[in-house]
Amino acid sequence: MHALKKLFRSNYLFTLGVIICLAWIIAAILAPVIAPYDPIVQDLGVRLKAPSGEHWFGTDNFGRDIFSRVIYGGRYSLLAGVVTVILSGIIGTFYGAVAGYVGGQVDNVMMRFSEMILSFPSLVLAMIINAVLGSNLFNTLFALVIVSWPTYARLMRSVVLSVKENEYVTASIALGAPKMRVLIKEIIPNSINSVLIMATTDIGNKILMFSTLSFLGLGSAPPTPEWGMMVSDGADYFNKFWIAGFPGLAIFTMAVGANFIGDGLRDLLDPKLRKEF
Amino acid sequence: MKKKLLALFMSLAVVVSFVGCGGGSGSGSAAESSAVGSAANGGSTGGESADNGSADGGNTVVIAMEGEGLETFDPGYVYEKYAHVVMNACYENLFKFYGNEGTAQPCLADTYEFSEDSLTLTVTLKDGITFASGNPMTSADVAFSINRCKNLKGNPSIMTDTIDSIETPDEKTVVFHLTEPDSAILSKLTYNALAILDSEVAKENGATDAEDASSADTARNYLDGTSAGSGMYVLTKYTPNEEIVLEKNANYWGENASNVDRYVIQLQGDANSQMMTLSTGDIDVALNLTDDTVSELEGNDSVAVLNDPTKTVAFVMMNMDESIGGQVSDPKVQQAIRKALDYKGTQEIVGSGTVTPYSLIQDGFMGSKGTRDVNYTNIEEAKQLLADAGYPDGFDIDLTVTDLAFEGTPLTDLAQKVKDDLALIGINCNIVTQSWAAGYGDAYRDGTLGFTVMYWGVDYADPNVQLEFLPGNSVGLRAGWQADMDPDIAALSKACMEATDDADRTAVLEQIQDATYEYGPFIMIAQAPAHFGYNTRLTGVAVSDPYTLDVTMINIA
Repeated sequence: MHALKKLFRSNYLFTLGVIICLAWIIAAILAPVIAPYDPIVQDLGVRLKAPSGEHWFGTDNFGRDIFSRVIYGGRYSLLAGVVTVILSGIIGTFYGAVAGYVGGQVDNVMMRFSEMILSFPSLVLAMIINAVLGSNLFNTLFALVIVSWPTYARLMRSVVLSVKENEYVTASIALGAPKMRVLIKEIIPNSINSVLIMATTDIGNKILMFSTLSFLGLGSAPPTPEWGMMVSDGADYFNKFWIAGFPGLAIFTMAVGANFIGDGLRDLLDPKLRKEF
Repeated sequence: MKKKLLALFMSLAVVVSFVGCGGGSGSGSAAESSAVGSAANGGSTGGESADNGSADGGNTVVIAMEGEGLETFDPGYVYEKYAHVVMNACYENLFKFYGNEGTAQPCLADTYEFSEDSLTLTVTLKDGITFASGNPMTSADVAFSINRCKNLKGNPSIMTDTIDSIETPDEKTVVFHLTEPDSAILSKLTYNALAILDSEVAKENGATDAEDASSADTARNYLDGTSAGSGMYVLTKYTPNEEIVLEKNANYWGENASNVDRYVIQLQGDANSQMMTLSTGDIDVALNLTDDTVSELEGNDSVAVLNDPTKTVAFVMMNMDESIGGQVSDPKVQQAIRKALDYKGTQEIVGSGTVTPYSLIQDGFMGSKGTRDVNYTNIEEAKQLLADAGYPDGFDIDLTVTDLAFEGTPLTDLAQKVKDDLALIGINCNIVTQSWAAGYGDAYRDGTLGFTVMYWGVDYADPNVQLEFLPGNSVGLRAGWQADMDPDIAALSKACMEATDDADRTAVLEQIQDATYEYGPFIMIAQAPAHFGYNTRLTGVAVSDPYTLDVTMINIA
C-alpha cells in the first residue's frame, strides 16, 4: 500500500492512466446522468452536423448525438475490453505457471492443448462458440476469453521456466515449502510483469475485436452504441472526422490509460526496479 | 481493404507533396497539377488528359471505376456490373438500350417480328456490318455467339433459358424458337453476354458453341485480354486491379458517334480518391462517388455531378408463413408497417437522388407507375391498423439483417431506420445481424427469414425481372408467398410473360403494381442513385442501367 502511494506520487503517467480509466468507468456508470441526448433515438433533421455547442461531438448519419453515444458506448466497450482481459489474464497466468513449474509430461499435454486453441483463427473460433452456445453479450465475452487466454498462458510459461531456476525458488523448496506455496508466493509474483504489460496493451485490441464480432452479429447489434462499431460506421464519412474520430479517441485514451497503468504496475512489481521507491 | 486504400492514398500524398515541392516552386500551379497527374496515373496518361487532350490529336478520356470482382471480359461468361462498361464499348448486340427509359431498340438488327403464338422471333440483320477484324458479320455469328453462351452454362446462361433453338435460313436472317412466350426476350438480347462475337476469330482461339462447350471451350483466356466484336472500341490492354485500355475501332462499320480515341479505365473504386483526382482534373469520369463525396465537389466549376436513380432497390420483407413471420405475416400488420415507414427519411439516409418506387416495379422501367408519394406515411392510420390486427400495444420482433451494402448504404443503416420508424407505432425491433456467409445467405434463399431488410439488383434491364417478386416465383417464395395464397396476382406473372406487345404488357405491369401497392410481403423502401462525377469538357455522360456508363455516347466538347 505504501509502495502504491509512492507510485502515485512519483509516477505521473501512472496517475494519469488511473485518472483516465476511472473517468471512463465513471462516465459509463453515470451515462444516463451525463449524456444530454438519448443515444438511440434518431433525429434526421440534424444529421451529420459538425461539433457545436448543442452537440459537442457532432451528430452521425442518423442525427444521433455522438457525445451521448460515446458516453453510453463505454458500457459495452469497457466491459468487453476489461472483463475479457482480466479473465483471460487470470486463467492464462495460472495455466501457464502450472505448466511451466510442473514441467515434463504435464507441461507437454497442457501446452499442446493451448496450442490447439491458438491454431484456430480466433475470430472463427469465437463465431463457432457463439453459434453453439447462442449469440448474446455474455457468450461473446466468454468466446473472447476462450480465444485469448492461451496467449497469456504461453507467455507465463516461458517466463516461469527461467524464474523457477532461481536460487530463491530452490531455497524455498529446500526449506520444505509446499509446491503450491512456492508457485503462489515465489514464482507467480516474479513472473507476472510481462503478463501485466501485455494485458494492458491488449485492452485496446479486445475492444476492437469485440466490435468486429458485434458487426458479425455476435454480441451487441446496431443501434447499440459501441465504440468499435461507431468507428467502422464513421469510416464511410471521410470528410466528417467527428463521426469516427471521437469514438476512436475514446478507444485510444482508454488503451493509453491502461498502458500507463501497466507501466506503473511493472515499476511497482519489478524487484529490480523496486528499490527506486 | 479500407486500410490498404488508405495506405495507398497516404503514399500517393507523400509522393505528390515531394514532387510538388521539387518542381512546383518556380512554375506555379500548372506544373504542380501535371505533376500530380503523372503521380496518380503512373506517368502514362495524366498529362494528356489534363491538357484537354486536343493538342496531340489523340483524345483520351480517363475513367475511374471499381475493379474488384471483374472476372472476365468473355461475352460467354460476363456477368459483373462494371464489366458492362467495357463490353458495351467493344461488342454489339442485336438490340440495345439507347438511354435509360423505354424499350430495347434494334442495333445490329434491322427489323424483327414475332409470330402469332409469340413462340418465334425472326430478326433480320443490317447490311454491311463488319467486325473489328474486318470479317463481315452473318447470321452464323449470331447463332454461334448465343449458342455458345447457352452451352457454356456460365452465370449469364439464364438469359438463354427461353431460347429453344436458333435457325439461320440465310446470311441475314436469324430465327429464334422459344420454349414459351417471353415478352422480355428483346431486353435479354441486349444483355452483354449475348453480344455477337466474331466467330472466325473466336474459333481460331478455341471457342466452340457445341453442346459440350462448358468443358471444350478454351477461348476465355484470349477474350479476357482482347475483344472480338463489332463495337466502336477494341480492348487492347487489361491489367487486373490496375487499368483497362480501349482504343477506337478503325474498322467500325457504322457512324462513329464519339470523338474519343482512347479510354483509359483506372480500376480504383475508392470514392475519396476518385473525388480528389476528379477535382484536380486527373481523371475525367468517376463512377463510384458517394453522397458524401459528391457534396465535396459542389462549387467546382470544372466538374459536373450526376445523382440518378439506378434500378437497384432496397425492400422490407415480411414472411407470409405464420410459423416463420409470426406477427408480420398478418396482412394488416404488413399494411401498418407500410404506413409507418418514413420514406422521406430513408431517402435522406441513402442520399440525394434516391426515390421510392410506387410498388414492385422500379421507377423508370417500361410500365412503371413511377414513385410512391413520400407523404404516404401516416402514423395514426398505422396505429389503427395495428390495433385492428390485435396488437394495440405493438409487439417485439427480430429484424434480421446482413453485412452487405445497398449501393454504398449498409443494410444495417436501413435496418436501424426501420427500427426507429416502427418504434413510433409500438413495434419494437430487435436487430439481429448475421453475415451473408454464416447463414443469412442460405436462410434468405430458403425463405426461412421472418422479417428482414434486403436489396435487389436487376440482372437485365427489363421490368420482367421484377416478376420474381410475385407469389410462387423465386423471390416471392423467399417471403413464403405461395402461388395459391393469391392466385390472381400469381396469374399476372404468366400474363406479363406472354404479353409481347408493349401496350398489353404495360397494362399487366400496372395491374401488378396496383395489386401490390398496399398488399403483399414486400415494401420497396428506396431505389438507389448512382453518383457519377465528370469533367465538364465531356458531353453525353449519363448513368446507364444496363451498361453503368455508355462510353459510346461520350464526346469531348
